[in-house]
Amino acid sequence: MKTVTIDPITRLEGHGKITIFLNDHGNVENAYLQIPELRGFERFSQGRRAEDMPQITSRICGVCPVAHHFAATKALDAAFHVEPPSAAKKLRELLYCGYIIYDHILHFYFLGGPDFIVGPDAPAPKRNILGVIEKAGLDVGKDVIKHRAYGQKITAILGGKATHPVCGLPGGVSKGLTREETKEIKEMITSCIKFAQFSLTLFDSVVLQKREYLELIRSDPYTLKTYNMGLVDKKNLVNFYDGHVRVTDQQGDELLKFKANEYSKHLAEHVEEWSYMKFPYLKKIGWQGFTDGKQSGVYRVGPLGRLNAAEGMATPQAQKEYKRMFDTLGGKPINSTLAFHWARLIELLYATERALELINDPEITSTHIRNPVGEPTEGVGVVEAARGTLFHHYILDKHGLIQRANLIVATTNNAGAITMSVRDAAKGAIHRGVINDGLLNKVEMAFRAYDPCFACATHTLPGGMPLTVDIRNSKKQLVTSLSRGPL
Amino acid sequence: MKTMVLGVGNPILQDDSIGLHVAQYVKERIDDPTVHVDVAYTGGLNLLDVVQGYDSVILIDAIRDTTKKNGTVERLPLPEGKTVYSCNPHDVSFAEAMTLARNLGVESCPHTIVIIGIVVNQTPEFGEELSTEIERAVPVAAQLVLTELKRGKSQP
Repeated sequence: MKTVTIDPITRLEGHGKITIFLNDHGNVENAYLQIPELRGFERFSQGRRAEDMPQITSRICGVCPVAHHFAATKALDAAFHVEPPSAAKKLRELLYCGYIIYDHILHFYFLGGPDFIVGPDAPAPKRNILGVIEKAGLDVGKDVIKHRAYGQKITAILGGKATHPVCGLPGGVSKGLTREETKEIKEMITSCIKFAQFSLTLFDSVVLQKREYLELIRSDPYTLKTYNMGLVDKKNLVNFYDGHVRVTDQQGDELLKFKANEYSKHLAEHVEEWSYMKFPYLKKIGWQGFTDGKQSGVYRVGPLGRLNAAEGMATPQAQKEYKRMFDTLGGKPINSTLAFHWARLIELLYATERALELINDPEITSTHIRNPVGEPTEGVGVVEAARGTLFHHYILDKHGLIQRANLIVATTNNAGAITMSVRDAAKGAIHRGVINDGLLNKVEMAFRAYDPCFACATHTLPGGMPLTVDIRNSKKQLVTSLSRGPL
Repeated sequence: MKTMVLGVGNPILQDDSIGLHVAQYVKERIDDPTVHVDVAYTGGLNLLDVVQGYDSVILIDAIRDTTKKNGTVERLPLPEGKTVYSCNPHDVSFAEAMTLARNLGVESCPHTIVIIGIVVNQTPEFGEELSTEIERAVPVAAQLVLTELKRGKSQP
């Protein structure tokens, strides 16, 4: 058996490593994603004050500080038996919309967008934001920067600090909104709505109007028939901040609907010896290996998972786009991995519309933003991070110190599906030992659609990051090594 | 002329926080109204937001270079384009963010950026302490930052 190692992936900075195993015929047998996950977080958090967790956990990952902040805050609400005042919930959700706005803009234009706007077969040095701007125009580039910064600014105003909010407390938030701030936020949101609409129009013209892209979206290597999971409100509509976790099956029917604190009843984690990463699956269905279909407990989260797991969007324009997506791609559920990009833009539009509703709500300037806490026990918090469902579970002692902490992060929820998508993309690009030139791009596209993130050091500065492919024979000896870059 | 000294790192990932420690060390040793010392627990595009409005930036960060010993301190220019990577798969590198901003004609971008890098090759685990060999690099890196500030002053 030969082994092809792709390490690292461009734009996926050194933490992700993919190993592709070939069989004796030179075809792909299996592909594994290896992530050297940072360990020791549970030990690190033991004995700390519970109210510090929203700050500490927001440092775990440079990508989702807001999501961790609020998963932690909601776990503390539960652990201290306190329901935040309605205004506090609205402030939290508004901040959350700001986060989704900047996060989804960043992914579409900087990371996922290059695959489509510049093209999947374009040379690697062009497949980045600079290539996107070359193609879409300088003004689009300026708008991308501007609206991403608006999302950041909204979270900074509400969160009290740029990037890492400090406002979340058990029972509410520490900071309300002034009338002036409300006005400033409203102007930014109004502009963001237009930009979200524009982004969908752009996606329509550069992707959906091109038959070859639609064929790529619908193609087998990018199709996975898993279960889908996401948070929904009382009407089963997508909600990022609150609600029940809903799981739907391959027909789009509801399989499960549960509260955050029931997660361990429904989700279990499979362990593989080659990875620190755990692979969650639905207990009710069971783990059958890296396979899709009704008999396999693997599920997907993130934009497409959420849209599949819900029955619609709670705002009018996003709902229209939701319907159009399912009509175009053949009804529910959509199993095309590359449709994550489309779903992400629909969510961007939803986040902007929802933010406008919240900022127009008279209660948003209320000063009743915190309720007193009760005795500390145990609590689970759940939110939808931009890239999927995120659970925080804390057990506190009677002094309010952390005894145990368990986190299931979004990318972990998608781990099984990502592994399969990488394998299938590689299968489409390697035949009888011949490695298609587009292999690296195809594998990256499969991976990137999920917008994965791993617990990471905030920064490492290697001088260059080439993309290398090692081919090993059946004795795992290196036969040849291909590389690309540094880019 | 406004200069920013920016320590970058993750405060809960052991040696990855070296940039933050060096920034603190520098802060305690300078008193210059034209120099602002700050820290950031982030990378990529977020750093672009932070550095705007400054003429020059000295960025202090952990670097990975397996050909060198842990704790080695280096002065590096910011590479053009895409060779300095961000912390995570969801962001672009700081260098790419700067190139983008300049191409878009963002006027408030700093015209010089220098990186003071401290080699950290091991993958850190969660923790707030620096290892001994990395802790030793703090005054060395800080001295390099102070020298860099003096050099900036002597240039018109």
